[in-house]
Amino acid sequence: MHPTGFERLVREMDEVAGKIDEEVIMQIGGTKYIPLNAKHFGFGTEDEVKLLCQEARIVVTHGGVGTILNVLQGGATVVVVPRLGKYGEAIDDHQLVFVQELEKKGRITAVYDVESLEDALRKVDSKPAPLAKDRSLVNALKTYIGKFERK
Amino acid sequence: MGPDIAHLEVNKGNHMKICLVCSYGGHLSEMLQLMEAFEGHETFFITYDSARTRGLERRYLLRNIGTNPLLMAHAFFSIFRILCREKPRLIVSTGSEIAIPAFYLARILRIKTIFIESWARVTERSGTGRLVYPVADVFLVQWERLLPKYGEKAKYEGAVI
Repeated sequence: MHPTGFERLVREMDEVAGKIDEEVIMQIGGTKYIPLNAKHFGFGTEDEVKLLCQEARIVVTHGGVGTILNVLQGGATVVVVPRLGKYGEAIDDHQLVFVQELEKKGRITAVYDVESLEDALRKVDSKPAPLAKDRSLVNALKTYIGKFERK
Repeated sequence: MGPDIAHLEVNKGNHMKICLVCSYGGHLSEMLQLMEAFEGHETFFITYDSARTRGLERRYLLRNIGTNPLLMAHAFFSIFRILCREKPRLIVSTGSEIAIPAFYLARILRIKTIFIESWARVTERSGTGRLVYPVADVFLVQWERLLPKYGEKAKYEGAVI
């Protein structure tokens, strides 16, 4: 949950929503700008957001781990716009590096300049298969935990 | 006499109490991805108060510390009380700053700790990671590229997805 708004993305998405035929629903969080062309709400509950992500053809999100995890497992196409430190959208540019890395792995579509958002949305249309979970971290944790058990 | 029940208690075997520490949002999402690792153990959360965390089963809810030093000091006391009462054997955290008081107190109270740096941290250490690295028993990162930024203790064992 990011208390800081993301006006750059909400504003652009609102503009795009006015030009396309598809329904757009936005969780705008702490963003002050109020969308004119799309249904919107501040913060939804986890279940509400999960459901919307499952029903969506495309999910456009900031580079936050929570949403990206949800969406990758739900199977929608993910378009990610990283928050940038220089605009005060995040404490630093870790989202930028994270998003670049996910893009390299081919797991998401990245949009760095919001002006190209509409273009990106028109290009992506495939619905990828839900991602299989990597079990190595869970298994490693089990091993570490086992070492801490009282003998 | 209740020999059956006593027997069951004993047969929990190496069952232990694990305290899960994380802020809400992405850090909580990462923790929830890892819950399977704690199966067979008793767990409880120390996290921030929000609609989402109120839905967690066993939890202590604190005010979001953020960068407020007064709230950080207050969190030290709250977490100290919680840890003394619950006496967990192990603390696991996925960040963020709420892990700082928990990990330093764990050191004093001789509780074992595992820190998992956020999946979002690819090349740069988080502020929390930097501070808890010296006191964590196990320190994991989710990108190999981050390993050189930490010391030898840091390990890469895969990521949440």
